Amino acid sequence: MPKTNVNEINRNIYDIKNKDNYDFKIKKGLTEDIIKEISNQKEDPEWMREFRLKALEIYNKLELPTWGPDISELNMDEIATYVKPKTKLNSNWEDVPEDIKNTFDKLGIPEAEKKSLAGVGAQYDSEVVYHSMKEELIKQGVIYTDMETAVKKYPELVKEHFMKCVPIYDHKFVALHGAVWSGGSFVYVPKGVKVDIPLQSYFRLNSPESGQFEHTLIIVDEGASLHFIEGCSAPKYNKVNLHAGCVELYVKDNAYLRYSTIENWSKNMLNLNTKKAIVGKNAQVDWVTGSFGSKISMLYPMSILNGENAKTEYTGISFAGKGQDLDTGFKVIHNAKNTSSVVNSKSISKNGGKCTYRSLVRINENAKNSKSTVSCESLMLDDISISDTIPTNDIRTDEVEFSHEAKIGKISDKTIFYLMSRGISEEDAKAMIVRGFAYPISKELPIEYAVEMNNLINLELEGSIG
Amino acid sequence: MEILKLNETPKRTSRNFNINNIKLENVEIPNNIGKFENLALIYEKKNIIVSEDVEISKLTYGLGEVLEDKVLKNSNVTKKLKINGKIKEDIILEFKLDKNNTNLIENIEIIAEENSQARIIIKYESEEEILGFHNGIIRVNAKDNSIIEIILVNLINKKINNFISIENTLSANSKVDYKIVDFGGKNSITNYYSNILGENASNTINTIYLGTDNQVIDINYIVELRGKKSNVDIKAEGALKDIAKKHFKGTIDFKKGCKKATGNETENCMLLSDTAKSIALPMLLCSEEEVEGNHSSSAGKVGEKELFYIMSRGFSQKEAMKLMVRAKFNNLLEKIYNEKIKEQILTKIDDAFNTNF
Repeated sequence: MPKTNVNEINRNIYDIKNKDNYDFKIKKGLTEDIIKEISNQKEDPEWMREFRLKALEIYNKLELPTWGPDISELNMDEIATYVKPKTKLNSNWEDVPEDIKNTFDKLGIPEAEKKSLAGVGAQYDSEVVYHSMKEELIKQGVIYTDMETAVKKYPELVKEHFMKCVPIYDHKFVALHGAVWSGGSFVYVPKGVKVDIPLQSYFRLNSPESGQFEHTLIIVDEGASLHFIEGCSAPKYNKVNLHAGCVELYVKDNAYLRYSTIENWSKNMLNLNTKKAIVGKNAQVDWVTGSFGSKISMLYPMSILNGENAKTEYTGISFAGKGQDLDTGFKVIHNAKNTSSVVNSKSISKNGGKCTYRSLVRINENAKNSKSTVSCESLMLDDISISDTIPTNDIRTDEVEFSHEAKIGKISDKTIFYLMSRGISEEDAKAMIVRGFAYPISKELPIEYAVEMNNLINLELEGSIG
Repeated sequence: MEILKLNETPKRTSRNFNINNIKLENVEIPNNIGKFENLALIYEKKNIIVSEDVEISKLTYGLGEVLEDKVLKNSNVTKKLKINGKIKEDIILEFKLDKNNTNLIENIEIIAEENSQARIIIKYESEEEILGFHNGIIRVNAKDNSIIEIILVNLINKKINNFISIENTLSANSKVDYKIVDFGGKNSITNYYSNILGENASNTINTIYLGTDNQVIDINYIVELRGKKSNVDIKAEGALKDIAKKHFKGTIDFKKGCKKATGNETENCMLLSDTAKSIALPMLLCSEEEVEGNHSSSAGKVGEKELFYIMSRGFSQKEAMKLMVRAKFNNLLEKIYNEKIKEQILTKIDDAFNTNF
């Protein structure tokens, strides 16, 4: 019987390598001198310099995780943690050097900016090379800038929030991030301001044997709303690259934030990213996440529901192909009355790829009348792949409604038979089922990313799966 | 006194989730265990050979080295039951800890020969006020086409630590069915492992647990499916009141080659107080494509509507809650045909509700 082949992601666009043409690249390794040099290069204020050194101290004390994928191949002595591209921060694409601009052109960023975005930030290696936002948002008091500018221009706001949501002692790679962070975006949406069109930051790592450690800090003030999109990619090299970014989201009372990510790192990337949101009274944060790239990912966005009636939704899909170990999931802590969380996770494993869904739902003693619903589904497309589901459900009070369900399996013969009995060919039926499986997630993505995702999970409509 | 780190899950998750193992402080493991003579062993002599020549090899998982070694090297009861044929009458092992038999460390091995069939009831109980210690291993080897039903009842008092490790091997077309009642023990820690090797082999585990006062219940079920068309069904129903705490860790692991295997796991925990704690880790691990695996887990308080309905019929809240718990456990209880044991279990449920809420 002919086989339908669910293609792995077409990486042609993402794999375009530019010459490693930097202005400054720090020597490999992680020492106090290196941290001081990064701090000098970035002209940090004193408090940030001290913060970096403190983080390094904590990094050296903390152990590697004793669980999850094997990351023993990561050798920090082989990673350059800071690579400054040969350009300054620009607000006009024409001022961005040709090779860097071409990369972002091919990724469709300037085009998307014209069509459907209210602002764009573009980071190349360790620094943001382009940042721009529509005039009307500036007038409304919205701040959207690179993190370095924010540290200098809004020191009080940054000091109050920087690595307070994700403290540096959370885990080893957060401490590493605290020591070497560079680039990223800062967003402040003032009280009551509704940003109807999304803002997008795109992170591109070009330099081999290096790391990207961007810091994203978003504050959505009371009653305000925002949709923020984050994209990331890198070309493939033979040696390991590291991404240990950090995202801190503060969603104040009655505010709303939707945080969408399409992560499409190259398959030599270790993606050890940390994302956390603190959610106030009557506020909501929604996460939409597509994880397609990287060799190893350990990524578990987290919502801390601190205010009464706070809500969160997580919608995520992972697609692991040959040589990939994607350990992803979600964490939520219910810390107040009437809070609710909804989790919908899907994964597809193919060609020896491994997908793990790992999660935590904790409903604390003070979170009376809270609700949580978790659903995760895993699709195996061959018998050499692996799919694991490892959810922890920690319920500490009685007045809750909590349910969790998970399914694992292949495409059902019965469903294929049903569709075929309606006159659809076997090939079309199977392709339809795979698309249908991914649809609940793809419909939540911004349209251009949904199209990209459908291209990524491209079906050749011949024969059967499995 | 030592800190015991027990009952490791087959795959670790984040340390901050506090579920990879359980750490118990102030657990006294007796050096001098003495004799244990209060065992009633009732069985049909025909087709059953009882000996003391038990297996002493290491367990695949188990609770941990300290407790396992204690059983393998230092048990005070060893029983090997070799079953050959279809046994009509229940085989009963009743252990009762009393002032003369305070420590029970047993090593039980059950071998079901091909085409054999038996139901075995293993019950642990104790006098209400005694201090003691229980640590046991039960191994079951179900050979081709055998059918084994095990009813495991833990009703020991809440002063005694209860540790038990179970390991099953299932050959082709065998069926191993466990009904577990886990009510007793200060800390009740269970490790259960099934290795389903044979084609069409099937393992079912139905558990009810009840945690009251400051009891800690730690359940770690691990089932590995290797045989084609093999099956596992795990169903756990529980209730927690007062400041009781429960960890339920259930792993269904589809190993490569177990084509057309199925596995289902559900765990539902009824929380009867706002200080009881329930942690669940229902794992599905899968290295085979052609399988069907499902798990679900839920937790919450007693349904307000149901409670109101029962109370509107003249029952007090306490009575209504007791009825709800009994109803929840009834699916399993109605399959325990030994009336005397069933009555003992029901009395334990009633006792739990006779204390203050």
